[in-house]
Amino acid sequence: MAFARSEHPSARVVRIDSRSAAAAPGVVAVITAADLPTRTLGRAVRDMPLLAGGRVRFVGERVAAVVAETRDQAEAAAALVNVGYEIEPAVLDMEQALESDAPAVHVAPWDYPGAAMREADGHNLQSLVEVGSRDAVDAVLDAAEHVVDRQYWTPSVHQGYLEPPATLAAPGHGGGVELWTSNKAPYRLRSMLAEALGLPLGAIVVHPVAIGGDFGGKAAPMDAALCALLALRIGRPVRFLPRASEDLIAGNPRHAARIRVRLGCDAAGRLVGGGVDVLFDGGAYAAFKPRPRADLHGADSVFAGYRLPVAHVRSRVVYTHTVPRGHMRAPGSPQCNFAFESALDELAELAGMEPAEIRRRNLLTSGEPDAWGHTAVEQRGHQTLEAALNGFSPLPAPAGWRSRVGLSFYERPTAVGRTSLRLSPAGSRVRAEVAMPEAGGGVHTVVRSGLARLLGIAPDGIEVVHVPTSELPHDDGVGASRVTTGLSIALEAAAVVFDRSDRSQAVTVRSDPGPQPIVTSSCVQVAQVAVDETTGAYRVLQVLTAADVGDVLNPAAHRLQLEGGAAMGYGFACLEDLRIEEGRVWAAQHGEFRMPSTRDVPVWRTVLVRGGRGVGALNVKPVGELANVGVAAAIANALAAAGARVRALPITAERVLDALAQAGP
Amino acid sequence: MRVRLTVDGEPAELDVAPTDLLLDSLRSLGFSAIKEGCGVGVCGLCSVLVDEQPVGSCLRLTATCDGTAVLTAAGVARRHPALVAAFCDHEAFQCGICTPGQLVMASAVLARSPRPTEEEVRDLMAGSLCRCTGYRTIVEAILAAGGT
Repeated sequence: MAFARSEHPSARVVRIDSRSAAAAPGVVAVITAADLPTRTLGRAVRDMPLLAGGRVRFVGERVAAVVAETRDQAEAAAALVNVGYEIEPAVLDMEQALESDAPAVHVAPWDYPGAAMREADGHNLQSLVEVGSRDAVDAVLDAAEHVVDRQYWTPSVHQGYLEPPATLAAPGHGGGVELWTSNKAPYRLRSMLAEALGLPLGAIVVHPVAIGGDFGGKAAPMDAALCALLALRIGRPVRFLPRASEDLIAGNPRHAARIRVRLGCDAAGRLVGGGVDVLFDGGAYAAFKPRPRADLHGADSVFAGYRLPVAHVRSRVVYTHTVPRGHMRAPGSPQCNFAFESALDELAELAGMEPAEIRRRNLLTSGEPDAWGHTAVEQRGHQTLEAALNGFSPLPAPAGWRSRVGLSFYERPTAVGRTSLRLSPAGSRVRAEVAMPEAGGGVHTVVRSGLARLLGIAPDGIEVVHVPTSELPHDDGVGASRVTTGLSIALEAAAVVFDRSDRSQAVTVRSDPGPQPIVTSSCVQVAQVAVDETTGAYRVLQVLTAADVGDVLNPAAHRLQLEGGAAMGYGFACLEDLRIEEGRVWAAQHGEFRMPSTRDVPVWRTVLVRGGRGVGALNVKPVGELANVGVAAAIANALAAAGARVRALPITAERVLDALAQAGP
Repeated sequence: MRVRLTVDGEPAELDVAPTDLLLDSLRSLGFSAIKEGCGVGVCGLCSVLVDEQPVGSCLRLTATCDGTAVLTAAGVARRHPALVAAFCDHEAFQCGICTPGQLVMASAVLARSPRPTEEEVRDLMAGSLCRCTGYRTIVEAILAAGGT
């Protein structure tokens, strides 16, 4: 299968002539919106058509699908689909989306199933979340000793998994369909497909595949739904393997953000209040966001770990005529943490305090509530901060370059997922059939290591098998840092039931733990940079990550999650930008969209702050979305210490040079 | 046109169009250790050795490979079991999609510089991207396989 895609950010489709495509060699079918059910699709807000109907809303949107005997034939035929467009005014950036006379990206977005917004909220909003009181923050900031009020910008970046998200769908028995697809949440995918195709759950089987990286990007139902629909229609298997450039242009990348931070403290550096106003670019559709409010949790959790007597957050996600945005590793947090932790350093400078000292005075201690009144089982920010500072030692910088250090703090809330598994005796070993896919984070290793501990046998004595969706009850899939924690509870339950039969009977466990005590993980990162003041060129020499942990199931895999996370944070800070301008992704190839290589990355140092209270019998804390978050602020704060305060990512040499010039000699 | 080559030591014969890419030709023969990534020669997932030279098979026309000996990651693994063992011992992968290309490039690095320095490894491996690990363990594995 291949697609004819929109060339325009906003246009009316006035005609589609697919006769030449249909007559091209090897073509089996050419499908347009007219051939499909009119139902729109999505994870929470169902606002995205499988193929664009009357209008297109971003460059790269799918207008026609061509199925042919080979991929080359399908692509060649897709290029022959002749689409007539009538170009319409476009909303090309977030600010424009909010203007009263801005074009409407959708005529009535509040009418979509699952819409988070009402008509009264205005045309171009996907999501609006407000917590706390802005008036109260205004009042305390008016009276505060020191106040900063700054804006920060972060670009859209791709998750950067290297395996293109492939799908193969084949007609199954009795009108059903079977899929092999690079999707991290097969049971949720099955539910969405059932709705989209009008089939019962049991008629859809999603088979296990190894996933070549996810990082939040591989939960979209769109390709799978189209492949399944077409396989059922033509009665033959249908495969879609996108070119990497198609996925860069029209995937579901991270939201770009503009973030205003207002923060005030007293003469002793104690925070008296803070307000964060976030504007996220959601692109043309809200369909890829799974939360019912279509928001990103990184916004309202931006103050996590800090004592803040008066706080306010407003988070808005707007529709624009650009690629629809989705989830990427700690959605919203890398953006908001960069802004907040940068602003905190700027406030420290105003107050004449060291960055570490202002954090010492404001990090929560155990038993204290956070800005929204929630109290976690413990707070380990202080220990983590001191461990980071004690563990740090500088590396030599290039001669003549100015070397400085910066730090950041991030506190990750813990989620606990639903999952299921079956344990059975298998000769002298134990077989663990699991519903959760492996995307590279070590899910199946967690199952093996965790069960080995709980059953008191060697890890080699456990065989982990990922089974199709037809075999086990619901599983939430990989994501939201809920994998290891959810498994900690599920594995414990399974081990208890398995032991009741002296490990002689197969047992199936469905785990739905519900609300849990609030467990958090602290992370402090220290970056050392060296700057050439003449050119603005800089190097990040090292990033130290101090992570608050419970028990660590697999030390090597755990450390890789921290280092790999830090590498992703480094890419976000220094290199990556899809460069969305005029409604188009310009970094449309790898290389143009530049991700870190062996030559780019700094030295990683890791400090584990042991003794934390985690989740379940295995006493675990999540690690997948921890170390990627704070790297940008740590690097930005290090550069600021060297004289260059950069408030927009990625931090290029040009931006450093500009900032050095603004700071003066 | 007709192209004869060996892949991992086995003779193979292909009927190809002038524009066919080595990546697609080899995968069509069932050599699934070669992965398609970026398609523009940047990520290194599809690296193979053609007459011992590392090549991005997404950039190489099959028609230019007549008479060559191609080695995929599977062939490299048979030739360099110690390299594979070093990748396992050092946990030099997570999701694994880049690993075949990493192994091919690592064998080319060691062929050029049997006891490489860390700087050499980081320089020569820059064309093999990994989004999961942050690279430390990959570099360590190659240094260990080189006995440094």
